[in-house]
Amino acid sequence: MGISTFMGLETALRGILAHQRALDTTGHNIANASTVGYTRQTADLVTTPALADPPHGLLGTGVDVQQYTRVRDNFIDIQLHAQTMRKGYAEAQQDGLNQVELSLSEPSDTGLSSLFGKYWAAWQNLANAPEDLATRQSLVQTAATLANGFNSLSSQLTTIQAQTTQEQTLTVAQVNSIGSQIAALNGSIKAANLVGQQPNDLLDRRDVLIDQLSTLGNVSVATTAGTPGALGAIDVTIGGTTLVSDITATNVSLPLSSLTSGKLAGLQAVIDGIGDPVTGYLTKLNALAAALASSTNTQHALGTDLNGNPGGAFFTVTNGSEAATLAVAPAVLADPSLVAASASGTAGDASNALAIADIQRSALVAGATIDTAYSQLVTQIGSDSQQATQTLANSSSLVDALTNRRQSVSGVSLDEEMADLVRFQRGFQASARALSAMDQMIDELINRTGRVGL
Amino acid sequence: MTGRITQSMVSTTLLADLQTITSKLAATQEKLSSGKEIAKPSDDPFGTSRALDFRAALASNKQYQTNVGEASAWQDATDISLSQIGDFVQRVRDLTVQGANDTLGASARASIASEIDQIIESVKSVGNTQYAGRYIFAGSKTTTAPYTPGGADAYAGDTATITREIGPGVQVPINLDGQSVIGDGATPGSLLATLRTISNDLKTNNSAGLQTTDLAALDTAVDTITNARATVGARSNRLEAALGRLQQLEESTMKLLSNTEDADMAKTLVDFSQQQAVYQAALRSGAQIVQPSLMDFLR
Repeated sequence: MGISTFMGLETALRGILAHQRALDTTGHNIANASTVGYTRQTADLVTTPALADPPHGLLGTGVDVQQYTRVRDNFIDIQLHAQTMRKGYAEAQQDGLNQVELSLSEPSDTGLSSLFGKYWAAWQNLANAPEDLATRQSLVQTAATLANGFNSLSSQLTTIQAQTTQEQTLTVAQVNSIGSQIAALNGSIKAANLVGQQPNDLLDRRDVLIDQLSTLGNVSVATTAGTPGALGAIDVTIGGTTLVSDITATNVSLPLSSLTSGKLAGLQAVIDGIGDPVTGYLTKLNALAAALASSTNTQHALGTDLNGNPGGAFFTVTNGSEAATLAVAPAVLADPSLVAASASGTAGDASNALAIADIQRSALVAGATIDTAYSQLVTQIGSDSQQATQTLANSSSLVDALTNRRQSVSGVSLDEEMADLVRFQRGFQASARALSAMDQMIDELINRTGRVGL
Repeated sequence: MTGRITQSMVSTTLLADLQTITSKLAATQEKLSSGKEIAKPSDDPFGTSRALDFRAALASNKQYQTNVGEASAWQDATDISLSQIGDFVQRVRDLTVQGANDTLGASARASIASEIDQIIESVKSVGNTQYAGRYIFAGSKTTTAPYTPGGADAYAGDTATITREIGPGVQVPINLDGQSVIGDGATPGSLLATLRTISNDLKTNNSAGLQTTDLAALDTAVDTITNARATVGARSNRLEAALGRLQQLEESTMKLLSNTEDADMAKTLVDFSQQQAVYQAALRSGAQIVQPSLMDFLR
């Protein structure tokens, strides 16, 4: 079989077209050098099938673009997502615990611990001058300030808890919005693949969404089973609950069955840290307020007030929300002579006031004094916050390192693109020159051959 | 790190590093401006709990010092009163010796007796001495005057002890009740009863009684006053010693608190200038972040 005279034109044309596409791809890469989540693409040039030219062998027919490849390492993505989940968790937890710490304002001269000091001192002062109404007034006011300190700390903790819950709700809305975007992209990707197109830029957009999703919760991504999967659709679960399956997005809502990391879990950790019925900060604060109120009231009832009557309640509290409701009994607040400082009933006897001041040294809250129990609570909050800060620092640097690795593989290097630009431009020029050469050759054949002697 | 370096890697790395060094600088600056090593519990949870303990110890120490001051002032007031009573008793002794003189006539004795009656009134009003509005010789009935000047020689107080706490669980008695120092007219041998007897003996010319039992009883009364003053003195000494100990404790606790809570300025300043140098170097490299690329050389 002979070879067509015009085959060389075809070969040169393929060269021109292939280099033009490669140049376009390079231009696309340069244009997207700063696009978030962009994965550089390469035009894969391959030789076109050769023609059999017996007995000479196979004659090459030129070049074609086989496909546009996304240069991406999926293993880095998996590693990165694991770290962004941790970072999202630590970030949310650290943010919440930071607020808790600020509301403590410890160590300082204004925190609850200094109010405790002033409260015990006020009882001692009363013991120094039990018959003095001004001293009694000052004790009652100091006790009211301490109660206010409890009230405001409790309300701050409750507010942080409520805000965190609200943020969780907003985050869930964000998760659902990302879910529906992924489902829509699944549809587009399948449609593109069905007609044999490479939906590289759609895949990039979907990966950015998965990156975002993985800061919010523990995400797992799997290829959809069957044909949709073969066409590029993925299934996404968050916190063990299906969010996207093929082109269907299911709205998730809290609580998620196994939420272990990400922002949602971090926010939950803050909510539990404050409100846990055993170890929560608010629970412990309530226990403190309850111990203070009941021990003071019990001792107070053993004494006699300035009018010779047995002591009534000094503090009032509501069970279950002690810290929020702790207050000096209204009767005592109105008439400080009702403070039962005396044990024997005489005006100068202050042994009951001393006994109340000595509550400072009795182990009332889980084997610790009230002061110590409070200091333990502060230490617990401090340690929790410190741990969250360390996890955040650790996961942040890992996320940075992995992002760098991903950029190293998938990012656009302008030097590289410039070199490609030159390479493909030259290829284009040379192919065009080859076309001209073919043209001249055919011109020779058609116009000049067989005209000898004319 | 893989060999391939892209433009965005350079800028993200620079930004992340700038962020890190800026937050370090901010933390160091906060230490410098506040002078505190611990601004919030998470800076050093264990240190925070120590700081809170030290602060609580300082607060109660301060209160114990107040209590000691209060107790000392009470002792001073008691001592002044006792010294006045001592002077009165001394004067009565002189008068008794004078009145016991056999050569003295009834009218002279009557005038001595009237002076002693005045002294009795004075002793009773000293017994009503108040410190900060409280009767110091009335036991725990500090709002009731223990004696009635111009009235009966009865004691209206009680014999209860008033105590002050000067250390954790350490209580010291601070008062002397009038009953044991001055007594009342109904208790033979007490100061007040003795003075009344002397006055009566002078009025009834009982020179034998004046010479013997009265002088002896008066000497017993002097002893009681002296003993009381010794007790007050010993308490004052104890309080003073306690105050010294409390002040020492305060000083050492303050030092511990400062070690825990306050920033080491020299170290912090060195850290600060070091971080500043790193920060400036990072900024300088940031200014050069747009390195010439192949683009600049291709025509």
